[in-house]
Amino acid sequence: MPAKPLFGKVLVANRGEIACRVIRALRELSIPSVAVYSDVDRASLAVRMADEAVHIGPAPSKESYLRIDRLIDAARSRGADAIHPGYGFLSENAEFAQACEDAGIVFVGPSPDSIRRMGSKTAARKLAKAAGAPVVPGTEDPVTDLVEARRIANAIGYPVLLKAAAGGGGKGMRRVDSEAELADAVRDASSEAERAFHDGAVYIEKLVERSRHIEIQILGDRHGHLIHLGERECSIQRRHQKVIEESPSPLIAVHPELRHRMGEAAVQAARAVDYYNAGTVEFLVDEQARFYFLEMNTRLQVEHPITELVTGLDLVHWQLRIAAGERLSLRQEDISWRGSALECRIYAEDPDNRFFPSPGLISHLERPTGPGVRLDSGVYPGWTVPLDYDPLLAKLAVWGPDRHTAIQRMLRALDEYYVGGIKTNIPFFRQILTDECFHEGQLHTGFIDEFFARRPAASPPDPLVEAVAVLVAALHSGKEQPASAGVGAELSRWRTEGRGRLFR
Amino acid sequence: MKLDIQLGERTGRLETRNGRFELQWSDGAHVAGEASVAEVEPGIYSVLLEGRSFEAKIVPATPAHPEDRTWMVDIGGNRFAIEAFDPRSRRGRHASGPGEGRQTISAPMPGKIVRVLVTAAEPVEAGQRLLVVEAMKMQNEVKAPRAGVVAQVNVAEGATVAAGDVLVVIE
Repeated sequence: MPAKPLFGKVLVANRGEIACRVIRALRELSIPSVAVYSDVDRASLAVRMADEAVHIGPAPSKESYLRIDRLIDAARSRGADAIHPGYGFLSENAEFAQACEDAGIVFVGPSPDSIRRMGSKTAARKLAKAAGAPVVPGTEDPVTDLVEARRIANAIGYPVLLKAAAGGGGKGMRRVDSEAELADAVRDASSEAERAFHDGAVYIEKLVERSRHIEIQILGDRHGHLIHLGERECSIQRRHQKVIEESPSPLIAVHPELRHRMGEAAVQAARAVDYYNAGTVEFLVDEQARFYFLEMNTRLQVEHPITELVTGLDLVHWQLRIAAGERLSLRQEDISWRGSALECRIYAEDPDNRFFPSPGLISHLERPTGPGVRLDSGVYPGWTVPLDYDPLLAKLAVWGPDRHTAIQRMLRALDEYYVGGIKTNIPFFRQILTDECFHEGQLHTGFIDEFFARRPAASPPDPLVEAVAVLVAALHSGKEQPASAGVGAELSRWRTEGRGRLFR
Repeated sequence: MKLDIQLGERTGRLETRNGRFELQWSDGAHVAGEASVAEVEPGIYSVLLEGRSFEAKIVPATPAHPEDRTWMVDIGGNRFAIEAFDPRSRRGRHASGPGEGRQTISAPMPGKIVRVLVTAAEPVEAGQRLLVVEAMKMQNEVKAPRAGVVAQVNVAEGATVAAGDVLVVIE
């Protein structure tokens, strides 16, 4: 007889692939799911997959996915006793977590207080420092005037990095190489932060060149038990946004003791805010393999599947069990890591046009399958990718017994993946994954910029492949356009003969 | 049967007879052979050529504009924009290239027009910003491919456009 479900019903306050990911976990745990949708998401995959669905407003997220009142009303109207926020949107919003609590609905995440204390980057830095984690040299508090900013930047030495105190996703971030650039950079970073977070506060950090971004996944229950699930390396970034993640980090192969030390530091930082739920502590690692606390994300991360692949744990299941008050039955010594996992974030964007978003109708879709492949997707053929949200279509993750096998498997899976009608960054991943420096594991956050600089000019296409493309276009034109009778008829005869030979 | 081919910037002529094809590029390159072609799923072709097995996926390059007969063919992640037309009809040919006559500037991707920076009858320089299109919170500037005079502005700020929609005409 299966155990009683953890919750009566759970509302998923998100959209896209993460809503589908959470709905899958809910179904596995026999918990009915409620999707929410804006005007443009009525026919979304999440709505199709969920047991119930509630309309929450027009397309702009400010009027739908960010409306706390409507989400709470939706949960009440469907009788949901918990809300899973996914990532992004309201997942790190203390006010939302509080509103859930006040409405007697369980927020599948940490306490509002933990979110608040980790929400300000400057406050989080202080907390981490007090908990014994090293932090990048910089200011304790946001800079208030230019004189002070100059003094601090001179003291820690250029280049420096300006960051938004309320920041995330690279917004309000500026590299400054000399004092001459400082005034403009402070003004720009502050106004960008103001627009993005309604908080113009910025602080200064030493910029560490060729650093890696390595983060630690943690898991804690509501009874004070906290463990870490090892690291993910997310150094392959474009415009401060991660595009390829992997676990284990290739650096851990060289410095195996780092996992334990960073894991300990992450658990300490989380303990300092009485953290429960899944969470991630991000570190910067310099060329000497010294690590520094960057920030803590008090939610499920986009790239959580690679940790699941190497540890065999399901993080969304654990989020729900912890939210229901269960004890985390795993001890640190129970956690082991097996093989190697990689993830590519598949975006609707045009790699040949400065990665500009490419929303629109997905006319064809072929999904990679086969050994070691996991696809967390939020789209289907016939779906129109709206222009209103983040252009993430899916996350393609692979597992292999070692890093080399995982890379080869990812290349194979990318070959099987085809999204027609819109442009995606799939061809770009092929280039990165065949790059020698990537294979050698020489990763750092400037990798993509350097890759673009050293990338050889595209080799001319194979004339035979070109000819095949021309033939197919000619045949297809003839088929689609029977009006131009002569051409159409002859082509169709030609086609039939071709087909005949193929099947003979 | 003969077809004129436009592949990106290149032009050529395709002749097919009894399952054999011959492709003559105007730059001198030449490919010929016997191919076996099967449309295995709508828009997906299996092609066997010289013992090699290819899979080609084909979709209209600008679905919002069926009058544009350009196809996007994907073979193993390589994409080719191809137009194939009967040489007897001059239809489908681009009326003008950059640097001559009327030039239409189309939306490179679907999005929202956030700013219109020119008006009809206004002279523009090559590279001058004409409008700003926004999609998924990213803004992209549409620039004049050459100098001229704005003949038409087809969109207003706030309008939603599909890929291929004509935004501005320059003469």
